[in-house]
Parts: sequence; structure tokens; C-alpha cells
Amino acid sequence: MYDVCIIGSGAGGSPIAYELANAGFSVVVLEKGKNYTEDDFNKDEVAVSRRDMFTPPLNEQKHIINEYKSDGSFTRFDGQEYSWNFWNGSLVGGSSNLMSGYFHRMKPNDFKLKSTYGKVKGANVVDWAISYEELEPYYTKVESVIGVSGRVINHKQQEPRSTNNFPYPELQTNKVTAWFDKACFELNFESIPTPRAILSVDALARHGCYYSNFCGSYGCASGAKGSARAALLQKCDAKVITDAFVYRMDSDESKVTKVYYYTKLGFAHSIEAKIFVLSAQAIESSRLLLNSKNKFFPNGLANSSGEVGKNLIFSAGGSGKGRFIFENLTKKQQDELMQTGLFFNRSLQEWYDYEEKGQKYKGGTIDFLFEHQNLISRVNRELYDENGNIMWGKKLAERIHKTITRSRVLTFEVFNDWLPTDNCFVGVDEKEKDKYGVPVGVINLNGHPQDLQVGEYLAKKAVQVLEKMGAVEIDYNISASPPPNLVAGGCRFGDDPKTSVLDKNCKAHDLRNLYVTDASFMPTGGSVPYTWTIYANSFRVADMIKKEFSV
Amino acid sequence: MQKFSSRRNFLKLGFLSSSIFVMSGCELFSITTPYDTIKVLQYDLFPQAKKLNIDTSSYMSIIFHHTRITKEDKEFIKNGVKWLNEEAVKMHKTIYTNLLSTQREEVLTQIAKKEWGESFLHDILSYLFEAMLGDPIYGGNNEETGWKWLAFSGGKPRPKEMYL
Repeated sequence: MYDVCIIGSGAGGSPIAYELANAGFSVVVLEKGKNYTEDDFNKDEVAVSRRDMFTPPLNEQKHIINEYKSDGSFTRFDGQEYSWNFWNGSLVGGSSNLMSGYFHRMKPNDFKLKSTYGKVKGANVVDWAISYEELEPYYTKVESVIGVSGRVINHKQQEPRSTNNFPYPELQTNKVTAWFDKACFELNFESIPTPRAILSVDALARHGCYYSNFCGSYGCASGAKGSARAALLQKCDAKVITDAFVYRMDSDESKVTKVYYYTKLGFAHSIEAKIFVLSAQAIESSRLLLNSKNKFFPNGLANSSGEVGKNLIFSAGGSGKGRFIFENLTKKQQDELMQTGLFFNRSLQEWYDYEEKGQKYKGGTIDFLFEHQNLISRVNRELYDENGNIMWGKKLAERIHKTITRSRVLTFEVFNDWLPTDNCFVGVDEKEKDKYGVPVGVINLNGHPQDLQVGEYLAKKAVQVLEKMGAVEIDYNISASPPPNLVAGGCRFGDDPKTSVLDKNCKAHDLRNLYVTDASFMPTGGSVPYTWTIYANSFRVADMIKKEFSV
Repeated sequence: MQKFSSRRNFLKLGFLSSSIFVMSGCELFSITTPYDTIKVLQYDLFPQAKKLNIDTSSYMSIIFHHTRITKEDKEFIKNGVKWLNEEAVKMHKTIYTNLLSTQREEVLTQIAKKEWGESFLHDILSYLFEAMLGDPIYGGNNEETGWKWLAFSGGKPRPKEMYL
């Protein structure tokens, strides 16, 4: 019997594996995907972005998606039929291998959203069970163990820090960031260097970034990116079993007794452990609990509250862009614009909260970055003319050549709170099954109107910067369609077992040896990408588990 | 078929060399293959590839055999080839590959107005760009000619093998 069995090897599970294995406990990690190392990762756009090599084929594993309308009715979509999926990376280290690593901490008010901003009609907003101060030491730990590079500046939304600066210097930036800083200065906006979970120098027995030009969506070939695999799993002797899909957890009335998994070839195995940690990413973790009903838990494991799967959240907001064209630039500026490889790395958090018409709103973060370098994708965006007609021949070739070689797009991403609502939750389908014969997850989607209102407010600020910089073709899209890679909730933590699944240490109220440590625990998500918070919380829970073993 | 010098090559092309029955009304008008049509069609859609001496049509063999391309997507390409030829027969009384370039342009303009036609052209162009602008390991972007045309240097490290 192992001391600890962890289901899922991403940012939620790996800190536990790292901490517990390095403290001398026997740890096994079950990972559905394959193992890839730095030697395996490359920049093959066809494989990674066109053929989706890191996510399951939809004819084998899919989701059902119910999209709710404001009147409470919904439309059902079969994920396979509509090529709509919420997979983010089935491989050792999970989707942290493929992240861009935009790392922002949540801010103190994010931990007390309800007490700070009040109730929002139609939204299930609650305060967190812990404070920023309790998580701060772990945010700091992530900076040094995972490796966060950046430069702290004193801006009005800067959260309190226990150290003065990041442990690794900021990554090199493209010269266009100076245009951005100037525009912000003229607009009286505070430009912030974006912290990244990417090593700028050789450290932690990993290589520094070599500016490959292909970061987000791709595995890192130098180990600079702070994936759970590079930063944690390869630095401990936790046993990782790959191609292991966990389909069921068994329990008695008070503890998990065993988990069952299928190998790639469909053989069933089981694992026993003293403590089980579930971290399969928010949707899959809820799905597994709901699929693990037994006589003690007829509505799903750890679900006496009926809250498993509920209050699923994403990052609200959207994205926008503006184009810089050679015709409007000097030769020097053209050269600066086309300098590839270096990062843009600028953010705005000026409106992390703001007032409008006398009301205080929780706002968010805007990250700026160059359009992804994926060439086939960029060319495919040029297939249609101004009237929406498909082009071909010489006309198309001229347009592609001009667009790619004489202009460049600066994009922005808006992150604001996706308010939790009754109609946004995970279920399991009664009929549809995956290739293992296990009921597929049902993702019920509903966006709160305030999410769009805040997103619009922020996007308009970003547009001001692009205009000031001299960009053309500026547009943006704020919508209620969820980004599949920014998902949280489903197993809220809280003090009350009737309204939450987990206690403040992310242990199930119902089961004394089950922890859930991916983003499922988050009752609200803050207005930043989640990965840093997932890592930090998982390090926090690891300390709790160590304490439990020492009793 | 005579283009393929050996049985091995013929088998490798598989789906691409399978017969497509072009109908005129209820009558069988002609038999062609996806490969013959797609080769001409891709050069019509993007003559720049030919100018750069890039062969994009052979890449379609990878697509037709790819485990990650759905059966429905493969069928759609095959049907698109059939419908394109049937449009050619309807407009000019012969299959697409037998037409003059001005006539082929007329056929393309005609099908681009139809929902299936627009999707078909979109897919054929997308696969063409995968061949021309994907990693040279896939065989189309020979000596990085496609990348050089767009002053693109590609990402490193490069793949050591194709993802099939």
C-alpha cells in the first residue's frame, strides 16, 4: 500500500508528489497520458496545433455540452459532432507543459469577493475559506521552486509580497514594448512587466529560455517553462504510471479504499493508499467523483452535500487585437516590429477593481502579447476578403505575403471573474460513454451578464492603448464562451459541509483521506490565469498532508 | 493510374487513388481519382506553390491516412472532389482536369457560392498550407521554400519524425 496515490500529474497533483516523496513517503501518480521529456518536445505546428497530439481524439473521448440561455433553456451539443472539447493536455505534467506561463497572483480582495463587493443577483459568490495572507508564503514558494521570472514594480494594484522581487530576472522583451510603455505613460496607465513561469537563466537544474518563438501550446525543449513535470516530478522519486485512466474510486463510509484504472490496452488495475489526492483538472475530477457512486455515497463520492460538479467557473473576458503595418512605420520601427523570439510581456491591472456610476466592480487583468507565431494558422486567417468571400490564386498569395511579411498583430487577453451560477456545472451523461465504457462528462455552461459588462469595460481600455500605439484594424471579442484551458470549481472548499465539498485544507468533508487539489476547490477564480494559484494551494495542502502523517 | 510506377506506391496512395464516380444526372459520366483532381485544383487555388516548386498534393496521402483526421472529414474531401467534377460536367460537359484554366476558374467561382463548395475550398487550402508551410519533414515544404517565401524561420527544435 502506498502512502499517497495522486490522480493526475498536472499543477494540482505534482506539488503534493514532490513534497511528500521528498519527505520520504511512498507516492504513486496515475496519469492518463504519455510521458514526454525535453528531448521529445519540438515545434511541429502540424502535430501540436493542427492534429492536437496532446489531447484525446474526440471519437474516443468527448464531452456533452449544454449551453444555457438567459431564460433557463439550453441547447445540447455533442462535442464530437461539433469539434468542441475541454481537453487541455493529457501527458505527464498535464497542461502545465503547454501553458504560456502568464503568472499573476490573486489579490487579497479575490479571497473575499462577497464581503468586498457584495452580493450579485443570480450569482453564487462566496468568500474563500482562506485569506491571501495564508496563501502568500506558497505563492512565494512557487516563485523559487517552479521558477517565476519578472520585475516587481510599485503600482496601485500590487498585492503585498513577502519578498521584494522575483527570484529570476525578467525575460528579454521585444523593442515594441517601449512603444507600449510610452503609450501607457501618455494615457496615464501603469504598464506592468508580466511575470512568467519561465526561467530567464539556467537555474534549478534546468536551462534558461532560448526564445524559441513557440511557447504557448508547445512543450518546452529547454525545461525553462515551469511545467509540473520539469519543475517537480523529475525532481522526486514519486512513481508515475502513464497511460493510466482512473475510472472509479471506492470507499467505505469514511475513507477511500481503492482506485481503479485502465491501461491503454484496457486492462483494469487497482491501487491502495493511505491518502488519495484527486487532481485530474476541474471537469474530470468532478466527473470521476460523480461516476464513483456507492452505497455510502449514492449521489457520487464525497457528494453528501450535492455540491460536486456545481459552480463550475472559467475565466471570463475575451481577447482583442490591433495590427501594425509597415506603411505607418519608420524602417527602424519595422525592424523592431519584426524581431521574433523575444517576449512582449506587458500587462495592465489598473482596473482590477473600479467604480462606474457609483458602483464598485471587481475588474480584472489585461495581458498583451504578440499574435502566436503559428504560421499555418496565421495564413488560414487570410483566406477571406473584406466581404467574407473565400479567395484563391494570385489575389490570395499577394494578401498572405503582404500580411505576414509587412505587418504584425499585437493581441490582448482580458481576464475577469466568471461569476458562479446555478446553471454552470459538471454532470455525467446517462447514455454517452467514452472508449473505456465510462459515462462522459456533461458541461453545463452559463455566463452571468456582469461578466460581459466587466469584460467590455476592460477591453475598451486595452483598445485605447492600441490606438495610442498607432495600430490599425483594432477589434475585440468579449463573449460568454468559456476558454477551456481556464477552468475551475466544481468541488468548492468552505467551512460548511452542507454548502461545500472540501474543507479549508481541500480535504473532502465526507472522507477523511481524500483531497482534491486541482482548481476544483476554487469558489471564485480571481481575475488572473489560475496556474500560479493552483500550484501555491497544492504546496499548502502538501504541508497539511505532511502534518497529518506526523500525527 | 499509370502515373504510379509500382504497386507499392499505388497502395501508399490508397484513398487518393480510389475511384470517384462522376455522375451527370443519373448517368455515370466519368471516373476519376481524388489525386488527379486535387493536384490540378491545388495548383489552381495557389499557383505560388508551383512557382516555388512545392508539391502539395502528395501530402494529401498523409491526410487521408491520418489517425487524427476523422472519417467524416476524409469523406467530405472525397465528396467534394466528386461534386466539383459534377459541377464541371454541368457547366462545361467534361471533368475538372480536362478543362481550360479559364473554365476551371469559372467552376471554382461557381462552387465558392455554395456552402459545401466554400467549405471544400477552405479545407483544400488549409491542407495545402499545411504541406507548404508545415515542417519540411512532411515533404511539402522542401528546403524550407515555403517558409523562406514568407521570411519565416520555423521553430526549433524541429521534429525528428512525422506525427501520423
